[in-house]
Amino acid sequence: MGIYAEPRFLPCGDLALSVELGDDINREVNARVLALEYLIQQKGLGGVTETVPSYRSLLVYYDPLAVSWDELTTSLRALWREARPGVLPPARTVEVPCCYGGDLGFELEAAAAKIGLPAEEVARLHAAADYYVYFVGFTPGLPYMTGMPERLHIPRLVQPRTKTPPGSVSIGGIQCCIYSVESPGGFWVLGRTPLALYDHAAADPILFRAGDHVRFRMIDRAEYDAIAAAVVEGRYRPRIEVAPQPAPTTPRAARTASTPKEQRA
Amino acid sequence: MNVLVHDAGPQTTVQDLGRRGSLRVGIPPSGPMDREAFLLANRLVGNADDAAALECTLIGPRLEFADERWVAVTGAAVPVTLNGATMPRWAAFEVEPGDVLRLGTAASGVRAYIAVSGGIDTPAALGSRATYLRGQLGGHQGRALRKGDVLPLGPPSGGAPAEVLGQFIPDYTQAPLARVVLGPQDDRFTERGVAALFEAPYEMTPQSDRMGARLRGARIEHTRGHDIISDGVALGGIQVVGDGQPIVLLADRQSTGGYTKIGTVCSFDIGRVCQVKPGQGLFFKRVTVAEAHELLSAHRAELDHAIHWEETP
Repeated sequence: MGIYAEPRFLPCGDLALSVELGDDINREVNARVLALEYLIQQKGLGGVTETVPSYRSLLVYYDPLAVSWDELTTSLRALWREARPGVLPPARTVEVPCCYGGDLGFELEAAAAKIGLPAEEVARLHAAADYYVYFVGFTPGLPYMTGMPERLHIPRLVQPRTKTPPGSVSIGGIQCCIYSVESPGGFWVLGRTPLALYDHAAADPILFRAGDHVRFRMIDRAEYDAIAAAVVEGRYRPRIEVAPQPAPTTPRAARTASTPKEQRA
Repeated sequence: MNVLVHDAGPQTTVQDLGRRGSLRVGIPPSGPMDREAFLLANRLVGNADDAAALECTLIGPRLEFADERWVAVTGAAVPVTLNGATMPRWAAFEVEPGDVLRLGTAASGVRAYIAVSGGIDTPAALGSRATYLRGQLGGHQGRALRKGDVLPLGPPSGGAPAEVLGQFIPDYTQAPLARVVLGPQDDRFTERGVAALFEAPYEMTPQSDRMGARLRGARIEHTRGHDIISDGVALGGIQVVGDGQPIVLLADRQSTGGYTKIGTVCSFDIGRVCQVKPGQGLFFKRVTVAEAHELLSAHRAELDHAIHWEETP
C-alpha cells in the first residue's frame, strides 16, 4: 500500500502516457504527483504538451515526433527522484461559504438519518474540517477532496441523480466534492456555495487548484443570497490565503511577506 | 468582413485545433472531431493549420458572404451549392459578395468542415477559438450557431485553386479500421475480453456526441469490476463500464474518470472514427506504441502531400 518503489509508465495511445506513483488515495502519493507535474512545468520538459494530475497518477501528453518513449520515460524517472512535496510552492487555502440544509442542501436530512446524527451536527462536523484538493477535473473546476471526519463517511447514492446544481457541496465515501457545472451526481448534497467554481466569462475561469486546502464557512440563506448576487455582478472576491513556506531555511522577513491575501481576478 | 448565417444546421460550431493546457482544471481541448478533414480545409484556402473554421454535424448551414474569399468544404459527403450551382468538395473555390453557400444532408460521414480564407475571427477564450458547448466557452458566444448570427472573418491571406488528391479522400461508406494501443488498464480485462475488442466490428450508437463515441458489440469482460481510482483520460481512451460496451472518449471528453480503460485509439484514426454514422460499424486493430509512432509519422508526412495546387502558391 502507498507509494511504489519505482513509477509505472502506462501507455495511453500514441500521444500520452500515465505515470502511476502509488496504489491508493493518500496525500503523500498525491503530493508526489503534483511535485512531478510542477517539476515538468519548471524544467519545460521537451516534447511534453500537457499534463493532468489525478489521485495517484500524472497523465503526460507528448509529441512522439519530438521526444521518444524511451527519452521521455528516462527524463520522467529522473524528475520523479526529485519530486518531493518540498519543491511545491506554498499551498493556498480557499474559504468556501456554504449554506447547509433546506432546498440548497436538499439531502442533508437524509444523509444525517443514514449517518445517525442530527442534521445540525452533520453540518457542523462537515464545516469544521480541513479539506485537501487532490486534483480538479471531470467537469471544469470540480475539486476532488478528502478531509472529512470518519463519522461522516457514507456510501454513495444507490441511484445517482441526473442533475445536480452547480455549487452543490456533497459527500460520498471518504470524499467531498463541489459540483462545478450542472451534471449527474452520486454524492449526497449537504449544502450549496454561492461561489462560481467555473466562470466561463472570466479570464481565469477556475477557482480551485490541485493541492489547495479548503475551509467551509457556514452561512445562512440571507448571506447566501447576498454573496450569490455579488458573484453575479462580479463584486465578490473569494478569500484565498497562501500558507507560509514550511521550509526552515526561509528568512523571517520573507516568511512574513509570503502570507498575502490573494485576490482572484 | 463577415459571414451571415441564414440557416445554421443542427450543430454547427466554430473550431480551431483546440485548447491546450486546461485539461488539468477539467476543461477539455475541444477542436475538430475530424482533425485531418479540418486541416485540409484550412490548407486548401491558404490558412494556417490553427485558423478557426466551421464544423457541421450531419446537416450543413446556409451562409452568405460579404466579400471576396476562398472557401473549401471537406469531411462528410454533403451536397454543396453556391447560389444554387453544385460545387466540388475537397477543393478551394472563390466566392463574391452576396454569394450564398449551402450544405445539405450528409449521404455518408457525419462532420463536414467549411474553411474560409482569413479564418473565423471570433474572440479566443483561454487561448483558443474552439467551441466547448457544455462549458459555454470559446467559438461564437460559447454555443452552436443560430440563424441570424454574424461571424467576423480575419484578413484574407490570398488563395489559389487547389484540390485534395483523390487517394486522400476517405470513403465514409466503408467501416474504418481504428488502431489501438492497449492500456492503461488492459490488465483489468480477461484474455477473452481483450480478444473480443479485436474480433468483430462494433456499431456506432445514436448516443454518441462530441464527448464520446458510444459503441455496441461483443461484450468486453472485466476481471474484477469496472471501477478504478479516478485518473486522466487521454484522447481516444476506450472506457468500458459495467455492461462491457466501449466508449471512445473524444475532443470534449471529461478530463478524468473512474472507469477502466482497456486501450486508446491512436490519434491518427480518431478523425475517421468520428465520421462513422450511427448504425455503421468500425474495426479495432491492436498495435504497439512503437508501431503507433511509426504510423503517426507516416500519417503526418502523407497529409503534407495530400493537396495539389494548380499554381504554385
